[in-house]
Amino acid sequence: MPKFRALMLGSAAIALSLFLGSTPAQVQEKKPIKIGLLAPLTGPLASPGTEMVNGFRQYWNSVNNTVSGRKIEIVVADTTCNPDQALTQARRLALQEKVDLLVGPLCGHEGPAVAQVSAETGVPLVMDPAGADDVTKWKRTPTVIRTAVSSSQIGHPLGEYLYKELGLRNVTFIGADYTFGHEVTLGAVKTFTDLGGKVDRIIWNPVGTKDYSTTVNSIPANTGAVVPIVVGADRIRLFEDWFNYGMDKKHKIVASYWLHEDVLPQLDDRAVGIIGNVLHYVAGIDTPENKAFVDEHIKLYKRVPSWFAESAYTAGLWVKTALEKTNGNIEDRDGFLKAMRTVDVKAPRGPVKLDAYDNPIQNVYVSKVEKVKHPVLGDILMNKPIKTYEAVSQFWTWKPEEFLARGPYKR
Amino acid sequence: MNYRVVGIVVLAALLAAVPSVASEYWLVLFTQILIFGLLALSADLLLGHAGLFSLCHAAFFAVSAYTVAILQTRYGVSTIPASLAGLCMGTLLAAVFASAVRTRGVYFILITLAFGYIVWGVAYRWASFTGGDNGVTNVPAPALGGLQVVSKAHYYYFVLAVLAICLASYRILTTSPFGLALRGIKSSESRMRSLGYRVGAHLYVAFVISGFYASLAGVLYIYYNRFVNPVAASFPISVEAILMAIIGGTGTMLGPFIGSGIILILRNWVSGFFHYYTAVLGLIFIATVLWAPNGVMGLIRSWRSGNRGEGA
Repeated sequence: MPKFRALMLGSAAIALSLFLGSTPAQVQEKKPIKIGLLAPLTGPLASPGTEMVNGFRQYWNSVNNTVSGRKIEIVVADTTCNPDQALTQARRLALQEKVDLLVGPLCGHEGPAVAQVSAETGVPLVMDPAGADDVTKWKRTPTVIRTAVSSSQIGHPLGEYLYKELGLRNVTFIGADYTFGHEVTLGAVKTFTDLGGKVDRIIWNPVGTKDYSTTVNSIPANTGAVVPIVVGADRIRLFEDWFNYGMDKKHKIVASYWLHEDVLPQLDDRAVGIIGNVLHYVAGIDTPENKAFVDEHIKLYKRVPSWFAESAYTAGLWVKTALEKTNGNIEDRDGFLKAMRTVDVKAPRGPVKLDAYDNPIQNVYVSKVEKVKHPVLGDILMNKPIKTYEAVSQFWTWKPEEFLARGPYKR
Repeated sequence: MNYRVVGIVVLAALLAAVPSVASEYWLVLFTQILIFGLLALSADLLLGHAGLFSLCHAAFFAVSAYTVAILQTRYGVSTIPASLAGLCMGTLLAAVFASAVRTRGVYFILITLAFGYIVWGVAYRWASFTGGDNGVTNVPAPALGGLQVVSKAHYYYFVLAVLAICLASYRILTTSPFGLALRGIKSSESRMRSLGYRVGAHLYVAFVISGFYASLAGVLYIYYNRFVNPVAASFPISVEAILMAIIGGTGTMLGPFIGSGIILILRNWVSGFFHYYTAVLGLIFIATVLWAPNGVMGLIRSWRSGNRGEGA
């Protein structure tokens, strides 16, 4: 019996020492950093949503999911492009999964909802790629920063490009009839008319318009150029109707937001030569950072990345750069946000950094569709930049105060 | 009858214990389930009791939510007057939309569908007033004088208390001669008419009361979400409210809440680890139609009466 007791005591002592010994060791081995990624994985925007998740994972896999000795864990939540769902999922990530950081959402109208969860819970939010102008202008939240783009940020250079580079004096816009479309279109209208240009007409189409025949047939006959800003599956419908109705022979088309890399595989040679985008990223940017990113993405996913993938990739890169500066201490939220606001990042899209209103200052590229031979994918269409507007601010050339006093672009 | 009392007490105790056992996230989800359950219950007053399939309940829900949100954030109106205004606006709208009861069957569905789209369209397009797609954000937490309901548990109890009052009034309403007359209309409108009941007036009043409950759900929703955008007024929300009632069991009081629980838990919790949760939702709808046309409550009821060897 005593022997048994001694054995018990002994094993208890060993267990205790193991326990005591293991606790400090576990503390030393740093806790992983949990990142909640909000993306629409079902619904109308599932395909850009998937690209976003791919881009984000691609970045973190390329650095072994580690930063400053801490592992990165990614929790993905499906927002279905519905603000209610985005709100609930953001709350789930913040409260249940206890993530250290939120990244997302994709759809513009989900942006303010998720920003609110960040305000409620204090969990920092890296907004990518929702574009709502409000978030970094009139309705800012201290814990929210944007790493992608504000809607009107790509509209302003477009207006100037139309007037100065193409020498156009009267144009017709085809705008997507929702907040993002309004902000891009009216941003371009503003810079174009300020220079002295005249808008013949703005034709608004709801997202999901099935038939663009009435749209293309209501373009004024003597207009200088047609400028579409269309999203989702509408991009292909407009493309088809444009050529079916022979518009390519009647009008010049200069797009601001139309032929992205994700729809190019579904188009044919008719697209070659069209100015398809005025955007802060296209896959054809000729820098070593972008080449590495695009090649790796094609290797992994067998498709050319569009701006959604690049944007999520850069969000990852940005977070990593900031965390390296604070030695991986994401628990110090103020310190982390400060680092995010001050670092310079060399992204595939070019150099980026935040302005005083938490929106990136970045290049905007005017791009043309070209046919290229790719070693893996064969003959493909590619967007190549033909003009770069460097270091474009969300306020364009206006003073921030002046822009803010003017109020948001509304239809 | 005793079973029922025991059941209610046990259920109340379980619901009251939620904040002390559930994590914060589940507490939030439970609050959401209760609020959408109330919306489903309001739609079910028409569907389960009067036999009218309304597709515009999101309209009342959203109008009251928008009213509260805009009054609170833009005009600094305090909680109580803002909520009352929300209820009034929602109910007034219901009084207008209730003209739909002049039609029946598929025409009723179509006209309520159209009404619903009007409200959605206004919320979406009148951006200078409603904020358009971006909606209205940062609605403050509800406050009573200097007392602010900030904690999630407190708000849950508040919703629970409001629901208790709602359910009691709903019960009184549906067992009253008025409620029985509605059931009569559902079974045979011509017979009720020949008995001398004013069918149109009954349905009109039922529609307005139903709109009132939906507006109340809207007020609870805005303080829960503290954010509203046109999705709240959209067609899918109206459909979801009806589906919740059907899955849970129409014409019952618990059914809409059970349905709301099933749909919201699937969407919010299961979606976290199972990517094809919408397929599960579809299977549940099919299973409901095939094997439980009276919903979960219908299943429970038939199982209980089967055990006792009674008829339905």
